[in-house]
Amino acid sequence: MVGEEYRGTKQWSRNKQAVFTVLWISFLCAAVGTMVFFALFDPADIGGAFDEDLTLDRDAGYAAGFFFFWIFSLACSAITAFLVRTAPRRDAAHRDSPD
Amino acid sequence: MTDPQPASMYESAKKIYPREMGGRFADLSKLATVTLLGLFYIVPWLTWDDRQAILFDLPARKFYLIGLTLWPQDFPFLALFLIIAALSLFFFTALAGRLWCGFACPQTVWTEAFIWMEQLTEGTRSQRMKLDKAPWSWNKIRRKGSKQFLWVTFSLWTGFTFVGFFTPIRELGVEFVTFSVGGWTWFWAVFYGFATYGNAGYMREQVCIYMCPYARFQSAMFDKDTLIISYDEKRGDPRGRRKRSVDPKEAGLGDCIDCTLCVQVCPTDIDIRDGLQYECIACAACIDACDSVMDKMNYPRGLVRYTTEHAMQNEQTHVLRPRMMVYGALLMVLIGSLITTMAIRTPIILDVIRDRNSLYRELPGDMIENIYTIKLINQSNNAREFKLSVEGVEGIHLDGIGNTILVDGGSVLSVPVRARVHRDNAFGVMKIDFIAEALDESGHKRVEDSRFLGPTP
Repeated sequence: MVGEEYRGTKQWSRNKQAVFTVLWISFLCAAVGTMVFFALFDPADIGGAFDEDLTLDRDAGYAAGFFFFWIFSLACSAITAFLVRTAPRRDAAHRDSPD
Repeated sequence: MTDPQPASMYESAKKIYPREMGGRFADLSKLATVTLLGLFYIVPWLTWDDRQAILFDLPARKFYLIGLTLWPQDFPFLALFLIIAALSLFFFTALAGRLWCGFACPQTVWTEAFIWMEQLTEGTRSQRMKLDKAPWSWNKIRRKGSKQFLWVTFSLWTGFTFVGFFTPIRELGVEFVTFSVGGWTWFWAVFYGFATYGNAGYMREQVCIYMCPYARFQSAMFDKDTLIISYDEKRGDPRGRRKRSVDPKEAGLGDCIDCTLCVQVCPTDIDIRDGLQYECIACAACIDACDSVMDKMNYPRGLVRYTTEHAMQNEQTHVLRPRMMVYGALLMVLIGSLITTMAIRTPIILDVIRDRNSLYRELPGDMIENIYTIKLINQSNNAREFKLSVEGVEGIHLDGIGNTILVDGGSVLSVPVRARVHRDNAFGVMKIDFIAEALDESGHKRVEDSRFLGPTP
């Protein structure tokens, strides 16, 4: 049933669909990524990896980690969506001709 | 009545005004909403042993689940739990369709609550439609304003409660009242509150249709024996309006009187009579609507009902089928292993870190010494005494540490220890085991291996 036409009255434009889907799915992925990452690493320990004097308090560390993951997966999703949607289409005439 | 809109390619301004109707499934859905939201808003306020009963204490990196305290090292339990949750979703989808969507999904549940507030302030479906069309007036401002007030307050409370699962909610409450909340706490409360407001107030069914991954792939778990909500076409068609006194058979009509109530109540604005559609979140509002009409017409209920594809084709429905058995068996195995591993979980964690700065030290008396840092975590809630020992090389013993070490409940003790071996027994790299043993009846014990370095011959 994927890709079926939605017959309801309130339809989203393709751009709006892409933007919201990308935002939302990258949010979900970031949430999972943050959870797994911080189950393994304590944000209080990793501040020093960037700068010896940097001590992250945990709240800020979690938030920074979450946004890092979100931006990362957002970029990944957005580029994928962009490439899928802007791929050159083979038109009908082209398709009929033997390759 | 809704008149069919000409199919527009793009977003139209028309919004869905779901009509409110009582009935069996509406009661069930209200019950689910009250229970689930009740749990969400009440649970953080419950206490257990002088602390919050359910608290995912991120700043302290400990999860409290009633009597149980989970540490980051217990992450596999969480992973296993999430796998079980996902598999249960598959199981129930195959069995009874989109039960999750219709009754348990936060999107549905919060939307329900927001629609209820909308009805409270703006009135019934037709009143809401009229109000939206009407020019701005004092009445409109008052009604819209009070709706926004309810929505925003409820959203902020939701955000506050959400944060209360991660930071002790009672202290948080005091901080909110005295305006001394930290920046991040504010941020997350407003973030979650705003997401609730937007999703349940405005996006509603569009989240399910455009953004939800489950809605797109759930049909893969469907088969002909899955419970679905369906219109009985054989019985209902041909549709048509008629007086109650008219015998439909004589008039050449089916049981559907084409009142379109089933469309009006639909939160995703589809016509169930067109067949199973992926927008259908299986909330069963159309069943209630149709049943009420059937009652009025003195027709039997169930023109729109829960059924299966096989039943619609007058075939046998199989509840126990290979798919259910596979999902069921997997679930049993996973739940069993979660329970077993939780039950035999030893609430001690032992970490041994060898001092990287030196290979070994030669001491007077022909002894070789290696230095380690021992991290001993007592995951239980009470202080416990432990005996630390080491074995694996003849004559190896620990120095600089008492016979017993006391670790407070739920805390980590980091202690440097020196292991010593006589030169005659120390060659090259040797594997040794550190053992932490609880000095009580529990017999809890943890073994952690490490290496002992001696001179190379």
